[in-house]
Amino acid sequence: MTTQPNDIHPPKWPLRLLRYFLKKQYLEEIEGDMEECFRDNLEEFSPAKARRLYVWETVKLLRPALLKNLEVFRNLNQAAMFKNYFKISMRNMMKSPLNAFINVFGLSAAIGICVFAFAFGRWTFSRDQFHEHKHEVFLATFFADRDGSVQQFGRTPRPLGEMLRHDFAHIKKVCRLDDRSVVVKHDDNVFHERVRFVDPEFLDMFTFPLKWGTPGSLADVNSIVLSEEAAIKYFGETNPLGQNMVVIFGKDVNKAFKVTGVAAKFPESRSFDFDFLVNFENLKTAEPGYDMQDWKAFVNATFIQLDNPADVALLRQGMEKYRRQQNEAVQKEWAITAFGLEPLATLHETSEDIRDDISHSSKNNYASIVYMAVIALAMLLLACFNYINIAIVSAAKRLKEIGIRKSIGAARSLVIVQFLTENVFITAFALVVGVALGMFLFIPWFESLFDFSMGFRLNDPKLWIYLPAILLFTGITSGLYPAFYISKFQVVSILKGSVKFGQSNPLTKGLLVFQLILACVLVTGGITFTRNSDFLAKRSWGYEPARVVYAEVPDGAAFEQLNAALLQNPSVVSIAGSAHQLGKRHTTTVLHMPDREYEVEHYAVDANYFETMGLPFEAGRGFHHEEGSDKQSVVVNELMVKNMAWRDPIGQTFKIDTMQYEVVGVLKNFHSYSFFRPLRPTIFSVAPKTDFHYVSIKAQQGSELQTLKALQGQWAKLFPETPFQGGHQEDVWGLYFQEIGIHGKVWRAFATIAVLLAGLGLYGLITLNVAGRAKEFSIRKVLGAGAKNITVKIADQYVILFAVALALGAPVSYVLMKMVMDTAYAVHMPIDYSSVTIAVIILIFVLLATVATQIRKVVKGSPVQGLKTE
Amino acid sequence: MKITKLGEFEELVLLTVAALQQEAYGVEIKRELESRLGEKLSVGSIQSALKRMEEKGFLTSEFGDATAKRGGKRKRIYATTSYARKVLAEMREVRAGLWEAIPQLSHDLKTI
Repeated sequence: MTTQPNDIHPPKWPLRLLRYFLKKQYLEEIEGDMEECFRDNLEEFSPAKARRLYVWETVKLLRPALLKNLEVFRNLNQAAMFKNYFKISMRNMMKSPLNAFINVFGLSAAIGICVFAFAFGRWTFSRDQFHEHKHEVFLATFFADRDGSVQQFGRTPRPLGEMLRHDFAHIKKVCRLDDRSVVVKHDDNVFHERVRFVDPEFLDMFTFPLKWGTPGSLADVNSIVLSEEAAIKYFGETNPLGQNMVVIFGKDVNKAFKVTGVAAKFPESRSFDFDFLVNFENLKTAEPGYDMQDWKAFVNATFIQLDNPADVALLRQGMEKYRRQQNEAVQKEWAITAFGLEPLATLHETSEDIRDDISHSSKNNYASIVYMAVIALAMLLLACFNYINIAIVSAAKRLKEIGIRKSIGAARSLVIVQFLTENVFITAFALVVGVALGMFLFIPWFESLFDFSMGFRLNDPKLWIYLPAILLFTGITSGLYPAFYISKFQVVSILKGSVKFGQSNPLTKGLLVFQLILACVLVTGGITFTRNSDFLAKRSWGYEPARVVYAEVPDGAAFEQLNAALLQNPSVVSIAGSAHQLGKRHTTTVLHMPDREYEVEHYAVDANYFETMGLPFEAGRGFHHEEGSDKQSVVVNELMVKNMAWRDPIGQTFKIDTMQYEVVGVLKNFHSYSFFRPLRPTIFSVAPKTDFHYVSIKAQQGSELQTLKALQGQWAKLFPETPFQGGHQEDVWGLYFQEIGIHGKVWRAFATIAVLLAGLGLYGLITLNVAGRAKEFSIRKVLGAGAKNITVKIADQYVILFAVALALGAPVSYVLMKMVMDTAYAVHMPIDYSSVTIAVIILIFVLLATVATQIRKVVKGSPVQGLKTE
Repeated sequence: MKITKLGEFEELVLLTVAALQQEAYGVEIKRELESRLGEKLSVGSIQSALKRMEEKGFLTSEFGDATAKRGGKRKRIYATTSYARKVLAEMREVRAGLWEAIPQLSHDLKTI
């Protein structure tokens, strides 16, 4: 023995555990034994290990032979009773498979939708959370006054990053970021790409691990880092490290890079990423005159990383001094009011209100989460109500069972426990089916619609909090009322047969009405969204994109070459050049009026543009064709005139920078980007030839494809080095129409499930009701009641219910749909009662068909059979 | 009597109690068995075996003296009953008989 460790004691709590659980008469002996063993162990092991062994020994002492007969354990003896409950539940389900199916199917479909909503929520809320330094990294922003309101901008003046790095000791890292459109070439693979110019700290500040290569390699100005997708595009699955890639920044400006890194697959939920990364210094190569010190010019983003995130307030104050520096450099209208810093962790939310920032906002998804949560809850309620209704009505069949249970000694509480057990049994079963439905049906379906992956995993710990919560909610909502209701009947009245219920329970009726209202809302939604996507597909864009093909050109000279080559082509009607293109690119310009500053969308075009694009004039004229004319003329759109409240728009003037412009024409309103975007006030000015970036060609009716082919042919001849970029003007909205089509699909799916659930519930109810009144109907028939009479007797109570439900449901649906459409779409079809009417008709049809099946059964059935039933 | 009333581990514990005589209390039984079997045993397994056998009438017990090492708690000294000794003897005979019945051919097995 090395020490006499009298001061070392075993932990106290295991002893308390023993005293609580072990039989009293054994305690002294066992406590002594444990103490002695502990002392023995102390001689052999460290005190910590001896204590661990002590605890472990304590746990191993909890054996049946040594334990007290506790209350808890006596209750376990009721396992046999629970076994009986399970058996009865199973038998009941077997006896009425239809009801079991309605319950299990309904609950599992609803739970499947809940799982799906959960997966979507997780996907949205996990956005950007994979960044290790998400709480320490901040995006530098600035605030400026635009159109009378202060707005936040995500770009930063070029010198800011360097100044911050220089001036503040608590800034650990700074990363400037800028993007350029370039052509990237490797052997025969030549594509238009976006290259991100970043400081080498980029890969340290943001958690984008590399599959191949080292993050530090970005410090070398000759290295390029690829995303996994880009690597596969150029090199296939092979490791491209050390390969050469030529980046063509512009005409005659190119540089060879060596691949030094390939990123691992990006996490599914991210608000920004990259295709190609090169060192920031390369901007000087890309743009020979690039001035890092120019406060007037911007980089797309500047990120900083702090040692201590709490320093950010201090830093915001410290950045105040840059404001003056900035405002001295720029003109008055670009003056900023303050600099700001936004944490990376919440950038996916805040970027909704930050203009021109590089990250994608997920605000749309937040709205979708709310919709989905509401719909999932509605479905769950539908299914629970089915359960309650069927349980209450079918209780009539189980009255005898309950009576007998009670008379041989079951207390009311035990009957409640029995029914809750049955409910938990069904719900748990539905939960398993529901998770499977969600995982293998709903989620993959939704992912395939939008072509993304939500990264749903079963081993997500939050899911295992969520699922029991669902189980609890569903169990309580659906099980509690029936259990209390059924258990309350007196034995005597049950066995005497004087209890009559199940036929006209007011709650059953209330729930049915509520279900029908829900179904009505969802069906109206499905119809409205479907009709809306048709409406938008047919809606005019305000100009004629169908006959136009376009291409991007490097400069005015290239435009001239194409123009000369194609003008002879017989299928070409007119050719226009422009610096911007509807649906592709515009610039934002501030107009100075005497009394206000006004921000507009600005397109610089040539004289042919209006005719080529088919933009109709409301008043005035377009630009003159003579070179150098109309330099100070603009054409505006109707909305601009309306917003300005110009009674006579032609001849109105305003300034851009210091130049005076005069309005010469007014265009009718048109949608430049998709219908998601509200109309904006827009101006057109004359573009100098050198600024041309687009060529647009109006083709003869029906020869659009030929024209595009001719354009591509000429392109290949004139610029063999640069890949062609262009297409049909009709395609510039990209996946817009596909997307609104998907909205319709999703709503139709929800509506179908809702109608199915409500219909099934109703079917179950009526079936039980009719079965319970089999004798009554048989007697009626024997006494001479005809089909009409029977029909009235069965249908009367339901018809009133339907009428009430639909009378409530129709206006509710109308109001809700109007609200949803107004928030979801900037432009949508006019909402009137027609969709609601169609929904109501569909519902009436489904309801009547459901009732009719049962009426038919009664009418066709033999009264003898009905009278024989017991 | 039914031999099967006594499990293998119980039999070992019972034999240990018989061997230890006056020293037969929980921890000592544990130590003895551990050294003979060459493996660690838990207090719980020994105690539950003792309690079960006491209930079946193989063992009797009474409190012994307390020591400082036991935190002032008394030991419980176990003793075998005559019934237990009879059962042990019977089991030994049964085993011996079975060993005898094994043919000579496989005699070498015994040396393993």
